[in-house]
Amino acid sequence: MLIEARDVTKAFGAFKAVDNASVSVEEGDILGLIGPNGAGKSTFFNCLTGDLPVTSGTVTFGGTDVTRLPPEARARLGLARTFQVPLTFESMSILDNATIGALMRHPNAREARAKARDVLQKVGLGPLADQPARSLGTPGRKRLEIARALASEPRALLLDEAMAGLTPTEVREAIELVRRIHDGGITIVIVEHIMEVIVSLARRVVVFHQGREIARGTPREVTSDAKVIEAYLGRRRVHHGDAT
Amino acid sequence: MSMTLVQVIVSGLLLGAVYALFSSGLTLIWGMMNVVNFAHGDFVMLGMYTAVVVWTALGGGPFAAAPIAAILIATLGIASYFLLVRHIMRGPMLAQILGTFGLALFLRYSAFWYFGADFKTLPDTLVGGSFVIAGIRFEGARVLAGVSGLAITLLLHVILTRTMVGSRMLAVSEDATAAQLMGIRPQRMQALAWGMAGAATGIAGALIATFFYTSPTVGETLAILAFVTVSFGGFGSVLGALVAGLIIGVVESLSAYLIGPVYKDVVVYLLFVLVLWFRPQGLMGKA
Amino acid sequence: MGARRFAFLGLVVLALVYPLLVAGLPVYERLGALVLLGAIGASAWNIVGGYAGQVSVGHAVFFGFGAYSAVVVYTHLGWPPIAGAPIGMALSVLLAAVIGVPTLRLSGHYFSMATIAVAELVRVLSSTFEFLGGAQGLGGPAMPRTVFDLSFLSATPFYYIFLAVLAFLLGLTWWIENSRMGFYLRAIKDSERAARSLGVSAGRYKLYAYMLSGAFTALAGSLYLCMFGFVDPESGFGILISVKMVVMAALGGAGQLFGPLVGAMILVPLEELSNSWLGGRGAGLTFVLYGAIIVIIARFLPSGLLSLFERRPEAPKAKPGATNVADGHAD
Repeated sequence: MLIEARDVTKAFGAFKAVDNASVSVEEGDILGLIGPNGAGKSTFFNCLTGDLPVTSGTVTFGGTDVTRLPPEARARLGLARTFQVPLTFESMSILDNATIGALMRHPNAREARAKARDVLQKVGLGPLADQPARSLGTPGRKRLEIARALASEPRALLLDEAMAGLTPTEVREAIELVRRIHDGGITIVIVEHIMEVIVSLARRVVVFHQGREIARGTPREVTSDAKVIEAYLGRRRVHHGDAT
Repeated sequence: MSMTLVQVIVSGLLLGAVYALFSSGLTLIWGMMNVVNFAHGDFVMLGMYTAVVVWTALGGGPFAAAPIAAILIATLGIASYFLLVRHIMRGPMLAQILGTFGLALFLRYSAFWYFGADFKTLPDTLVGGSFVIAGIRFEGARVLAGVSGLAITLLLHVILTRTMVGSRMLAVSEDATAAQLMGIRPQRMQALAWGMAGAATGIAGALIATFFYTSPTVGETLAILAFVTVSFGGFGSVLGALVAGLIIGVVESLSAYLIGPVYKDVVVYLLFVLVLWFRPQGLMGKA
Repeated sequence: MGARRFAFLGLVVLALVYPLLVAGLPVYERLGALVLLGAIGASAWNIVGGYAGQVSVGHAVFFGFGAYSAVVVYTHLGWPPIAGAPIGMALSVLLAAVIGVPTLRLSGHYFSMATIAVAELVRVLSSTFEFLGGAQGLGGPAMPRTVFDLSFLSATPFYYIFLAVLAFLLGLTWWIENSRMGFYLRAIKDSERAARSLGVSAGRYKLYAYMLSGAFTALAGSLYLCMFGFVDPESGFGILISVKMVVMAALGGAGQLFGPLVGAMILVPLEELSNSWLGGRGAGLTFVLYGAIIVIIARFLPSGLLSLFERRPEAPKAKPGATNVADGHAD
């Protein structure tokens, strides 16, 4: 098990955003976390990355108990992530953005830059490396975030609603990219709203609803599960493909 | 409990009510827009000078000065919003801090240049001198200031929580985009907030001038007092500012009495630093 | 040679020969030294305020530590004041750690306010210690005893000392700028959250920047004491000192290597000339002007003057057949 969350609960006062969730991800897996708005999947995601401390439960990464570790420590162990609203470094060039990621394993600035250029090439941003990051539109920024995370040579990449706000063509390209990354040996965990993405990418899926897990299995099993359909009932038309 | 101690506490409460009044302006802005108005103390200072001018030029006391100060500082607040704050709000942190800081310096030294550095005071007799009730000595000026401070702060709180206008303002502070979708115009509400904050601050200044010395640099100390009060009470909460103001007033009064007047500033600063470190969200504020 | 290189070399040459150009004009000799001293303080601030983005408005606390350390070792130990500089610097590093650990985790406005409060606290406290001369302050050597007392009659020796210190500081800053720390500080400034997700220990780097910045600000304070021979709570810890450092850096360009120097080159002469023309009550006008300048910078030119000389990056050209990554939706 590369990532193991056991009995994770995250409470804000009396409200339990995540209630006793246990999820494990094997090395090389692609896991999807889905659920309607407010289901707790993003909160759970942030408990995995360390952005939110858990109220109770444990999180293990690569055999190490990371429950009390801050995000930067988990990142150094190989847990990389992207953000729902891209947080690119706006004052820097695209290359420098990726360099920040590369500096983790390559403290020498020149080496890190070279590594960054390499990664940018692989995700298709190579020719734009010296442009400012703010010249990118949303899809570009999302791609840059992925490149930046990849530059840190992670074992697992956690994507937070990476497809929100993309056109169908862009979504297809993004799926391609994620597949390529996975083929390179990186474990993927993806939080997603859009069913099509999950169905085409994920090998296993966990469904959240009101902070709890209500179903798990392959995408096919999960999409035909009565409980899951009921949780999404009436919401399909509203949130289908929308950004949160 | 000795009568002097009661005296000290009572006068601390009265003072604290005034702190609450001028801090409520700061907390309103801060809570609504996440902007810290570093010029706040100088807004109070200008309110104080308004009272001084009203006395020297027109012979009027606080009942004349307060409304005039309210209008003047409200105007100043709205002008600051439209000309400066509105633009720097979305910019880099440095610009936000420098913006209102520069305004503070500008106002402070304009006052210094125009009025001179010497302290000005209003005569004691302006508000009924002093009197004794149940063995406690009250100064008319402080009583008026304290009671008015309390009343206006509560009024502000009521406006914010119980009127349409108030709920619109709170909607904007919660989520400006959502408020916009509901037909509320965020900029209008924000300008209104600056106006209301300015009015409260101006009145507070006019009231303080009746028992405290007025000088161009008085804003510096008052600003820190306001910051302490707001930090303690929680940014955005007028009621919190009231409670915190009363507490700070008493603490300051007790410190001056027990340790010495020089150290009362130290106690307040220390309290401030402690609050920031241990509970930055204050008593009643959102984190 | 590019225009930039040329300008830089020109600046270096000018800096080296300036005192010779104004020899015999003590006002201008003094002005030169003051500009450099201001540049040292502002450049020190720049490390934490410009590069790391943590806007401290209480840096006077370090300046005062440096100035007082210098005057105290003279007054109570009989040493040359400059010997107090390393002490002031060490104390400032400690103080920065003490202040920084709890406050750097606060969000922007809170941090700034905390720094103001601490500086004010120290200022008020310092006026109560007899050891520090109380509200009157302390004075340095009236008559120079050895050359180490650095009590020169002319400002020119100070000029060259300050120039050397500034050169060292800028060199150090330049080195950091291009190292991993420099990258990380810029990342933290842009988005601390994203930086942490990439393994950056944001808390630690901010603290290092703060400590380094404090140390060099203290050095500026010690040098100030050597030149002016006197310090009191207001001139050591006063808020105007903090403000000047910030404004000089911001005017020229915070986060840029030469920003603080450019800012100092404009503001120091402005203040000196303004003070001498207006004097007395007119001295208030200088700061009215200061305030107005600050507001204008904040409103219209938050990136400082040097940003006007930056080459604007070209818009990306769309390439047929490439992934339509760059032509995004504006959100």
